Amino acid sequence: MKIDNMVSRITAYLHSNISKDVINALKEVGIHDLHLFPARSLVIETKNRLFSFLPGRDLTQDPLDTLFFLVKPEMEDLLVRLIIEKGHLDVPGRGSILVEDVNVLESHELCGENEIQPVEASPLSVHLYSSTGICCIMKRGQGDSVARIALDTGTCVPAIHFGTGTGVRDKMGLLRITIPAEKEIVHVFTAPHESDSILEMMIDAGRLGQPGSGFIYTFPIKKCLVNMRITRDEQHHAASIEQIVTALDHIKGNTAWRHRRAMDEKRAVRKKKYIMNLVELVLLCDGGTGMELVKAAMSAGAGGATISGLKNIRPPDSPLCDISPARDACSMVVPEEMKEAVVYALKTAGAFTDRCHGQVIMRRTSKAFTYVG
Amino acid sequence: MAGDKSKKIKISMRQALSLLLPYIRERVMIQIRSVWLIILYLIFFQTIILRIAIFEASVIAIGIGLVVVGLTLFMEGLFLGLMRLGSIVGSGLPRKSPVAVVLGFGLLLGFLATLAEPSIQVLQMAGNSVKPWDAPLLFILLNKYSHYLVYSVGAGVGMAVSLGMLRFYYNISLKPFIYFLVGSLVLITAWASFDANMKDIIGLAWDCGAVTTGPVTVPLVLALGIGISRMVGSAESGAGGFGVVTLASLLPVVAVMGLGVFFNESVPRPMSEEDFFKTDNRSRIAVLFPNQDQMIRYVFMKAGPQAQLSFFGENSEEMEKYLKDLSTSESKRKAVFGEDAAKRELDIRELTQRNFIAAVKAISLLAIPILLVFFLLIRETLPYPDEIFLGIILCVLGLAVFGIGIELGLDKLGTQIGSKLPASFKAIPLPEENKTIMNFDPDSVHVATAPDGKKHPFFFFEKDGKIVTIPYNPSDYDQVAGQYRYTPVKGPLFGSGTSLPGILIVILFAFIMGYGATLAEPALNALGVTVEELTAGTFKKNLLMQAVAAGVGTGIAVGVTKIVLSIPIVWLLVPPYIILLLVTALSTEEFVNIGWDSAGVTTGPITVPLVLAMGIGIGSQVGVVEGFGILASASVYPILSVLLLGLHINRKRKAAVMEASLDDHQRGKEAA
Repeated sequence: MKIDNMVSRITAYLHSNISKDVINALKEVGIHDLHLFPARSLVIETKNRLFSFLPGRDLTQDPLDTLFFLVKPEMEDLLVRLIIEKGHLDVPGRGSILVEDVNVLESHELCGENEIQPVEASPLSVHLYSSTGICCIMKRGQGDSVARIALDTGTCVPAIHFGTGTGVRDKMGLLRITIPAEKEIVHVFTAPHESDSILEMMIDAGRLGQPGSGFIYTFPIKKCLVNMRITRDEQHHAASIEQIVTALDHIKGNTAWRHRRAMDEKRAVRKKKYIMNLVELVLLCDGGTGMELVKAAMSAGAGGATISGLKNIRPPDSPLCDISPARDACSMVVPEEMKEAVVYALKTAGAFTDRCHGQVIMRRTSKAFTYVG
Repeated sequence: MAGDKSKKIKISMRQALSLLLPYIRERVMIQIRSVWLIILYLIFFQTIILRIAIFEASVIAIGIGLVVVGLTLFMEGLFLGLMRLGSIVGSGLPRKSPVAVVLGFGLLLGFLATLAEPSIQVLQMAGNSVKPWDAPLLFILLNKYSHYLVYSVGAGVGMAVSLGMLRFYYNISLKPFIYFLVGSLVLITAWASFDANMKDIIGLAWDCGAVTTGPVTVPLVLALGIGISRMVGSAESGAGGFGVVTLASLLPVVAVMGLGVFFNESVPRPMSEEDFFKTDNRSRIAVLFPNQDQMIRYVFMKAGPQAQLSFFGENSEEMEKYLKDLSTSESKRKAVFGEDAAKRELDIRELTQRNFIAAVKAISLLAIPILLVFFLLIRETLPYPDEIFLGIILCVLGLAVFGIGIELGLDKLGTQIGSKLPASFKAIPLPEENKTIMNFDPDSVHVATAPDGKKHPFFFFEKDGKIVTIPYNPSDYDQVAGQYRYTPVKGPLFGSGTSLPGILIVILFAFIMGYGATLAEPALNALGVTVEELTAGTFKKNLLMQAVAAGVGTGIAVGVTKIVLSIPIVWLLVPPYIILLLVTALSTEEFVNIGWDSAGVTTGPITVPLVLAMGIGIGSQVGVVEGFGILASASVYPILSVLLLGLHINRKRKAAVMEASLDDHQRGKEAA
């Protein structure tokens, strides 16, 4: 495939009870290279009676299947419509879907963007809007407290998944065992005008200003439909607040009307120093090879990486069937000028050969924050 | 690598400590949190409810401290070393080797795991009180043929690991395996309960299944399975990696039952003690003992005087002659009684040495083949080798310290409570509190008369400034020394006879003990972490552990009820397993895998000694053949509780999606 071209990455966070329908529909229209990983969603559910006195127990986790794939930009609309239709995402409470512009920097020839035959899909009953994604990586076990911000502000239902981190700990000798490698990654999707406030609230909630506590960044989302059903509590009105917001979004055609003043006032007391001009490089490679490739990238200057396990889904006739369905996704956030060096190091390490079947996708970030010196 | 080293951050001693101390504190706290419940509870029960002082309290306290330290080291070693190694080999092997090699490796690993896990020896301990005339088949399996028992269990576990791997390759559901294995086991058990000899090994067989999967095997096999299933499994396979433990708890039961059937014909039927030792019966019972000397030894050490006489053909002169012979000839005595093994003293060095050897054996039997496979078949660079080797060393250290701690602390505490527990519903003697009364005057004995006219001699005794009455037993009076040996008696807690509240207390005790001990089990912790990891945190470790612990508690309570009320073991196993089959049919694959696996991991190094001590304690007071069956019962109920929890969670999940979409309701109706 052509190198360094712009493609669309479609990511869908689906309640795992409905993901099967969507995956089958996608396979039918000819998506032959699809990645899937497990995640969980978090919603508020006030426990009744016996459990009510337990602190922090008003959250309920649901299993999510996260699937993502690359397509040519001209096909994205069709596929988004298909997913929304099959998964009934127009109803709040079933899942989120996002479309981003990403660049494929380098790739093994088997891994490419998907092409599909044009199919019929019903016109959308909902409006898709642009938004800002926030991704926060931190120690395992802290995910809920950061993800809660999204629920408390009524922003969206957050998605959380697991990964293994490398970075500073690899330079510490055997003492690294004192820093757990297990990480939790939280994704939150906000309206662009609110993203700064939410970002700062998340930084405070996760105490990301302290050394070694985590990393957070925002990235632009071209269009998305976000699950807003943040609570499962009893409803005392004819329509739930989520239904009303969704309806108004549709009428207004955007989310800017949701602007709220209280958010601005909540902005952090102390001014934070953000890091600009970073890009996120995602290396997709065969399961088990991620760790050594990341080491190569780190020796070329990447600060660290978070590795999560993926499953590759393809129809039985796909050329990809010869490689194992287990894949690793290694996410590295590096300064933009360093991307060539990292890709080169990966190439020398054999990332794009038949051994690893690698592919590097670049996503731009808006701003990032972590503890710096 | 050289480049990596140059970039290494320099860390001062002080910084290193500031990193290490919180890290260690956190790990130790986790283990303290996991064991405090069971330990406080045991102490509380013995001192407050039974009101019996703890014997050797300081040794027990040290033992408990060692348990915490050992668990901390072991768990850290598991996560750093063994489990990581398992998953590396699991994901590497299918890439480099054909299916047959993977399956063969599974077979070998399963077999070695059985040899490595010391739990099976615990079962032999439980069978110590088995009498060859009551249950000849059980006796022979636990003594003369105990190596066959271990091999057959090993073969079962090996088959299980191998089959489990095969499941991952072909993405086969666990349900048909469960239906077939459990279905046939239920039938075999029901059949065996009608056979005089086989009915006694039902408990042993099911307990073997429960016991084999210990704290080293389970995490390793889980990690291996998850690695393999990730590499070869198709995209749709849910809960990949689980299920091996389930098979490893069912197949050994089949194997032991088979072993029983195999030897059933060659052993005599159960009979009375005197008949058993009759001279004309000699040739038939000879098969039960390895040789003549062992048989004679057994006669003198375990059989009653009547049976001993019967052994010498009712001819007491012959017996005396033989005994005289024995006392004069040193070599003959050694052949019969062996070396003088009566070493009662607590020997710290021997204890440490034995436990370290056991730990090295347990870990190396599993770690070495895995490392060999890695270096010979996979031949890649081992990621973080220093961490993995540190992990293995921590595992060995942890397991050894843990073993010592269990022996010094938990075992002692468990045995004390186990033997005293029946005091809540009947009177039991307390031999540790023996008192010798000097200058006892037999004239001071009085007589009390019961309503039925029976006479009960007693005397007054001053104890701690209070005057108490003590029943008088002439055989305890030593006329020559003028001393009376008095063994205090305790219980029952309520009323005078066997009472319902007393039995209820025992059952309640069993429940809480099972619950608390399960929360401390290392294998369950490892399973919980794995489940949480694979479900991305949807199924929290705590929730799983609570469900399993409640199930184990219920199972142990039911098992104790069995012993107290002498219910045949069939009734304990067959009905729950039939219910379980129904619930399994209703559950999703994900929960079937997790639920059935959690049953296999529940009975580990903390639960087993406590449960057996209790089983034996109650069993010996109530007078039953063996204390088996409680463990098997402790494996059924956690499956049930996890599956029921799964059904509840799935219903809620479905409701959540349904609520969101009316269309689904309509679609559902159409489908119906």
